[in-house]
Amino acid sequence: MRKNFARFAMFAMALMLALSACGQPAATQAPATSAPANEPFVFGMLYVGPYNDNGWSQAQYEGGLYVEKQLGAKMLYLDKVNPADRPGTTPDQLAEELVAKGAKLIIFSSDDMKDGANAFAKAHPDINVIMTSGDQVWADGKNYTATPNMTNIMGRMEYGKMIAGCASALSSKTGQIGYLGPLINDETRRLAASAYLGAKYCWEKAGKNAADLKFKVDWVGFWFHIPGTTTDPVQISDNFYTTGYDVVISGIDNPVNLGEAQKQTAEGTPSFGLAYDYVAACEAAPDVCLGTPYFNWGPEYTKAIASAQDGSWKSQFIWLGPDWSNINNLDTSLVGFENGPALSADAATAVKSFIAELAGGLNLWTGPLNLQDGSAYLKDGEVATDQQVWYLPQLLEGMEGLSASK
Amino acid sequence: MLKARLKNLAFQLAALILAFGAVSIILISAGASPWEAYKNMFLGSFGSVRKFAEVLVAFVPLLLVTAGLLVTFSAGLWNIGVEGQVVMGAIVTTWVYRLFLESGWNPALIIVLAILGGMVGGAIWAALTGLLKTFGGVNEIFGGLGMNFVATAWTIYLIFGPWKRPGVASMSGTEPFPDEFSLPLLANLRLSPWALALGLIAIVIIYFLLQGTYFGLRLKAVGKNFRAAYLLGIPTWRYSLYSFLICGALAGAAGAVQVAAVYHRLLPSISSGYGYLGLMVAMLINYQAIWAVPVALLFAALNIGSIQLPIVMKLDSSLSGVLQGALVLFVLLMEGARQKLIKRAS
Amino acid sequence: MQIELKRIHKHFGKVHANKDINLLIPSGAIQGILGENGAGKSTLMKILSGFIQADSGSEIILDGKRITIDSPADAIRFGIGMLHQDPLDFPPMRLVDNFLLGLPGGLLLNHKKAMQDFAALAREFGFALDPESYVDTLTVGERQQLEIMRLLFLGARVLILDEPTTGISAAQKEKLFATLKKLSAQSITVIFVSHKLEDVENLCGRAAVLRGGELVGELQAPYETLKFVELMFGKVVTLGEKQSLAQEALTLSLNNVALEDARIKIKHVNLDVRAGEVIGLAGMEGSGQDLFMRACAGLARTVGGRIQFKGQNLTGKSYHTFKRHGVNFLPAARLEEALVPGLNLMEHFILAEHPSGIFIDQPAGEKLAAERIQSFNIRGGPLSNIESLSGGNQQRAELALLQTPLDLILLEHPTRGLDIESVIYIWGKLKERCQQGASIIFISSDLDEILQYSDRILVFFAGQVSNPIEASQTSVEQLGQLIGGKGWADA
Repeated sequence: MRKNFARFAMFAMALMLALSACGQPAATQAPATSAPANEPFVFGMLYVGPYNDNGWSQAQYEGGLYVEKQLGAKMLYLDKVNPADRPGTTPDQLAEELVAKGAKLIIFSSDDMKDGANAFAKAHPDINVIMTSGDQVWADGKNYTATPNMTNIMGRMEYGKMIAGCASALSSKTGQIGYLGPLINDETRRLAASAYLGAKYCWEKAGKNAADLKFKVDWVGFWFHIPGTTTDPVQISDNFYTTGYDVVISGIDNPVNLGEAQKQTAEGTPSFGLAYDYVAACEAAPDVCLGTPYFNWGPEYTKAIASAQDGSWKSQFIWLGPDWSNINNLDTSLVGFENGPALSADAATAVKSFIAELAGGLNLWTGPLNLQDGSAYLKDGEVATDQQVWYLPQLLEGMEGLSASK
Repeated sequence: MLKARLKNLAFQLAALILAFGAVSIILISAGASPWEAYKNMFLGSFGSVRKFAEVLVAFVPLLLVTAGLLVTFSAGLWNIGVEGQVVMGAIVTTWVYRLFLESGWNPALIIVLAILGGMVGGAIWAALTGLLKTFGGVNEIFGGLGMNFVATAWTIYLIFGPWKRPGVASMSGTEPFPDEFSLPLLANLRLSPWALALGLIAIVIIYFLLQGTYFGLRLKAVGKNFRAAYLLGIPTWRYSLYSFLICGALAGAAGAVQVAAVYHRLLPSISSGYGYLGLMVAMLINYQAIWAVPVALLFAALNIGSIQLPIVMKLDSSLSGVLQGALVLFVLLMEGARQKLIKRAS
Repeated sequence: MQIELKRIHKHFGKVHANKDINLLIPSGAIQGILGENGAGKSTLMKILSGFIQADSGSEIILDGKRITIDSPADAIRFGIGMLHQDPLDFPPMRLVDNFLLGLPGGLLLNHKKAMQDFAALAREFGFALDPESYVDTLTVGERQQLEIMRLLFLGARVLILDEPTTGISAAQKEKLFATLKKLSAQSITVIFVSHKLEDVENLCGRAAVLRGGELVGELQAPYETLKFVELMFGKVVTLGEKQSLAQEALTLSLNNVALEDARIKIKHVNLDVRAGEVIGLAGMEGSGQDLFMRACAGLARTVGGRIQFKGQNLTGKSYHTFKRHGVNFLPAARLEEALVPGLNLMEHFILAEHPSGIFIDQPAGEKLAAERIQSFNIRGGPLSNIESLSGGNQQRAELALLQTPLDLILLEHPTRGLDIESVIYIWGKLKERCQQGASIIFISSDLDEILQYSDRILVFFAGQVSNPIEASQTSVEQLGQLIGGKGWADA
């Protein structure tokens, strides 16, 4: 027994020694000096879900591939970066793993990694960081902190969601539209509200009574389903479809609502869904898919990474709408809308003219608009500022569903 | 004596080889090189000071949980509820932080209070399982599983409800605490030497508690023969409860460290599965405190090293879990084989 | 079937458990194997029944043919079946299913035929066993009967019985002996392993005595008892003179006590136990004596009446309260209830002492253990694990764990399975306690032991309790009748 303890003590001591060695200022970081010109620039990406999720993370992944092609750069990535899939890790820790493998720039591609991105950017001033969907370096935003090595990039998906809402209203027979919301925050509120605005606009334009349109949001609790932790989005979709909602718009990272729509349709109730995030997301269930509002990250990531490469990097807040000359131009437009096979020809025409109106300057974020609790949001004729849109405090009047968790 | 020891060693070595062999077969069938995988995992955990520090970050809560489980196992109890006790430690730690965040008190004091609070929280949660067992006749395995479920549900309720970030309802967790409320970390690393010291002190104390105290001896008697321990005059149910309290406090400390030194906020999966992993470590070391440090370190290293697999080889990180499971399985299997052999020989 | 053992050796590590044993057992004989605990009897029988293998060079010759037995299944194929001290059956099972266990052949059991065979065998030996009842409802004696039937059904021509008279009643013993004699008449060879001289004398036509792993002598009936004792122990041992140590003072007094458990109800027990007095509890297993004894220790709840201990009312108090007042209970199931397997002798003594302080005082513990080991003549060191000790040594260790001072000792089967030397030793130690003023209440299925050591006796029959009987005024015959439920009108 004593001998065992001696061994034990020695081990503990060895650990202590190792620890004190750690205490020494760590040796200078892996070669920060610029690599020889013929070696490709390496950037790292962290995805919150699987890289092939047919949604948000896959769109990010494709964006990365686009950068590789455009710049001859090399992408390193790690997917499923969330505490449920990678217990005990933090995004900043995982980003450091990518840096250790040579990455000179890191893209934190989910809102969920905000805290990690902040910590990482602060701890590694020599590594540039793109924090997708964030507002940390928006000088006019609420959460501004000057961080020279960070850039925020986000698409004005409000337009995409309006188009999705419009397509829903044009296709719904019951006038009941469900919105499959992820978690509740500024971004998700404003996107759900945009879908509502688009739906309402096209519903009324088709000559129907606004009072007959129902628009309800139900929230999952995260960007995708985590068994035991979040509500099951399949369950939510199913609830929508079986209670008279014949169109469900996905706001989550992978369009599980499409599968439920297929099931309903097969059982004799024609039902539709809209996917989200990824250009080819409709392919999961084309026969019920009305379309996909999607992000096309490639071009903006290419610009930002090119600037990091040539030394012209500047901390920026980028929030860009579609390229109105052709919203589906994959080399120029950050936001697009891909019609789905289930969208009827008439509806497609109407959607097309709606897009043209938007391109022509139609702004649905114009008063009079009230918040869900009835308080005034925009006066008659008042146009919402960027801040008012980004930080939408509640859902809008006329929408059902929680504005904040209870 | 020496021969018996060599024989034991041979069996353990065989278990190790079998475990790695089984995982290698899985790797080969997935078209990957086992050697590459093991090499990357090794380099990913011991390849640099930073990586080793990350291993130690995972090692601390795992060691705390294992130390606690040694106590309940000694008392003959299967404290499956340890996972919930970690969670409850994290919840109470967060709660104490929130209470005093605006108080203007010295952050060091608040950190200490928060960690102590976490230990109390874990202990209370464990005691509930213990009371269910002694007074309700509910087996601690079922009771513990139930309590785990409740603790997780409670975390989610808090994160989505009373403790949500303003305007947000996401399982990303609560608002992070300001930096000064973190356990001090080593420069450029995420490792807190205080947390590491806490873990090592805990295991040393548990070692002495079990090996050198009357308390530990009574606990072992209760664990090995409850009836006889009672007839020998030991207040058995009280000792069962003590063991739950100690294990809960250590598990709670693990949860507290997760909040105070690693995540700086409450997350739905704040326990990181260290409770269940700790059960595996405790089984693997056959409940001997002396082996807790190296084996917990190995498991932590596997967890951290496996991050390399998706980056470098496009393999899933869950391979580390498979390897850990295989290790436990084969070691238990070999132990069974060894005992059979001994029986045969005598 | 004739069995010849030649040059049987068996080593366990350094221990030479069987040394060059040569023995010829003729077909149809009832062969006694005698010896004290640890003499090597069980080892020899385990070799014969295939549970362990002898060292190379040993030979087993069956009807002139040399055979190798590698497993119990092998042994039964050769026609050798063994009944263990604790019959190895599978409690939650119907008798008929247990009966069919180990039957070679197809997957489908012929249930009807099995029932017929079962009934035929039971009739032949006069066993009243219901094939549809469950094994765990049987007494030890009935389990033996079932096991004998099963072995015969499997084709055994040699039956080995290891200490079969331990834990069964006198009536069951008689029936067992009659059965064995009948088997012998059918030229089935019976090997009867025991440490009880009397049983061997009554049953066996021939006997071999083992001591220290060696065969020290073979005897034929009629026997000379003293010769046996000398062979077994290498010296002459006699029982001490019977003497009562009862004093005036009362330790325990039961007033109209009523008890109840799932199986049995006991009413109106009145008993006063004096300091130094020994009370023996007789009765068939499960007649209520175990419940009664546990109630005296606070381990079973009373449903009525009062238990007073040295003038204090302890009714409804827990065992730990009784223990603090000087009551100790030693259960029969040593490794299940009394001792902690996995802990060593020293640790047991430390636990029993309830020392204060935090850290274990190792030197003091070792000293304490060494003292107790010496004064209780335990074969083992302070660091020997309790389960590595032989039964007799475990029993002595239990006694060594008794606290001091002590006013009442409650013992279940204090000498069951022990050789006569150990029995004498243990009772010597217990009588020392009586001299110091402790009272003893003990359960035994050995009526001679009860008569020899008790001052008064309580007989239990199906929950009925006799008035205390003066041991000096009764006999084995009278007790035997009471135990069997006869003669209760005057008791």
